[in-house]
Amino acid sequence: MIAAVIVAAATGTWPYVAAAWAVVLGGMGIYALVTVVRGRRLSKRVPPEKRRWS
Amino acid sequence: MAMLHDAWLIARKDLKLEIRSRVALNQVVPFALLVLVLFAFALDPDRGLLEKATPGLYWIAVLFSGLLAMQRSFAVEAADGVTDALRLSGLAPAGIYLGKTLSVAVQLLVLEVLLGVGVAVLYGTSITGWLLLLATIVVATAAISTAGTLFGVVAAGLRVRETLLPLLLLPVLAPVLIGSTRAFEAALSGTPSEGWPWVGLMSVFAAVYVVAGIFGFGPLMEES
Amino acid sequence: MTTETAGPFEASERGPTSTGSRTTMILGIVTLLALGVLVLFGLILSPADENQGDAVRIMYVHVPSATLSYVGCFMTAIGSAVYLWRKSQWWDLVAYASAEVAALFTAFTLVTGMLWGRPTWGVFWVWDARLTSEAMLMLLLLGYLAVRGLAADYQVRAKRAAIVGLLLVPNVFIVRQSVQWWRTLHQKPTLTLAGAHIQGLMLFSLFTGFVAITLAFVWMVIHRFRVAWLEEQVDAEGLDVAIAERRAEGVAS
Repeated sequence: MIAAVIVAAATGTWPYVAAAWAVVLGGMGIYALVTVVRGRRLSKRVPPEKRRWS
Repeated sequence: MAMLHDAWLIARKDLKLEIRSRVALNQVVPFALLVLVLFAFALDPDRGLLEKATPGLYWIAVLFSGLLAMQRSFAVEAADGVTDALRLSGLAPAGIYLGKTLSVAVQLLVLEVLLGVGVAVLYGTSITGWLLLLATIVVATAAISTAGTLFGVVAAGLRVRETLLPLLLLPVLAPVLIGSTRAFEAALSGTPSEGWPWVGLMSVFAAVYVVAGIFGFGPLMEES
Repeated sequence: MTTETAGPFEASERGPTSTGSRTTMILGIVTLLALGVLVLFGLILSPADENQGDAVRIMYVHVPSATLSYVGCFMTAIGSAVYLWRKSQWWDLVAYASAEVAALFTAFTLVTGMLWGRPTWGVFWVWDARLTSEAMLMLLLLGYLAVRGLAADYQVRAKRAAIVGLLLVPNVFIVRQSVQWWRTLHQKPTLTLAGAHIQGLMLFSLFTGFVAITLAFVWMVIHRFRVAWLEEQVDAEGLDVAIAERRAEGVAS
């Protein structure tokens, strides 16, 4: 029965829905991660008084 | 009106340079004609495709060969530190912008006339709707040269300018390509009333860029 | 890159060691919660559309992405204008950060639009006015980002980028207008993407999509801004170091 549900989900429009959501959520996640990592690396090379986020 | 006087000086200088060096005549014009011939190779000339696609092919040829002319307009300046000389000359930046635009526009007009003869002869396109055709050529030339000169100076003096200018300019000119092509189609198919809104749109485009150029050229010239 | 060699300012007690702050931490948590709610409503609780079936669920991420791509574009133009007016680096970096995030959301819009087009139109791409304008927006933003990536002095780069950024808005307007005319001259718009009657849970899901994705957008712009700020500091620092070294050489010889 579960297999039937999976087959039903994999046909029709669900693959497109899943792909679209994966692109948006995944893309935002990857971009956020890359940005944070870049920020951490750069922070080490900048004096602390120049990176006060208020 | 010092601005217009400066514009005239710059335009005259650039055009004189072009006439003397003959690069536009000896290289850009043959390139434009080459593009026309290449289109004929790419599209079968016996099926009437060329005639049907004349407006699009014509304007693509204008854009690509015009791009070469614009690249040159700033390569000339960058070559011998003329940019510095221009800056020190005391000419109004807006005048320099208008002058450059004018000289690019004149070169484009020459190209367009030659390409027009080219498509009429090579593609056998019968030409109708003269008024709309002329109006389209005038506003499209104004639009291409105003935007081209502004983005030309954005890309000027950089090592990547040959690749940067097309990337900046061609998406911006997309509405001009759409507009001029549709207007030409309307003129050639005998329904000129469909073409006039496009002439209006391109006039708005040219007006936006003239204003942007007059105000933007100053800061761009300052330290580049 | 000098990732292994820790700089002289590592683990400082003063100042944060990342682009995060208390505010963005809270913002990030709220964003994640909102995205969770969006997944719950968009993928599970909301019903399938009568005509489009489950494909309508793509709308909940597609439409907010499209809107935010234009918002980012406007922010770039505003940042560029204020930079040209006041020569403020802060606004220049606002323009930069929003342009990059806007390009990301434009890419989302294009990809989700194509994935929506396949089940509804049968093809990935049609020359729909909105989709085509979005593609042109992508190209315009790529041009702007190319200018940002130039290897030139900060002043030169910022000034040229500001001119290009300021022109983004008129360009987008003219492009949209021309593409719309171009498509409607020969045929009516093929399909109105946003279904005619969105109500109840579907409307709520779309609303949640707007809230969650806007929060994510803000979070990303703030962090990207701080990265750009740090980069400029490093560049300036590097220049100082280079000048100091050159001076030291001069003294030694």
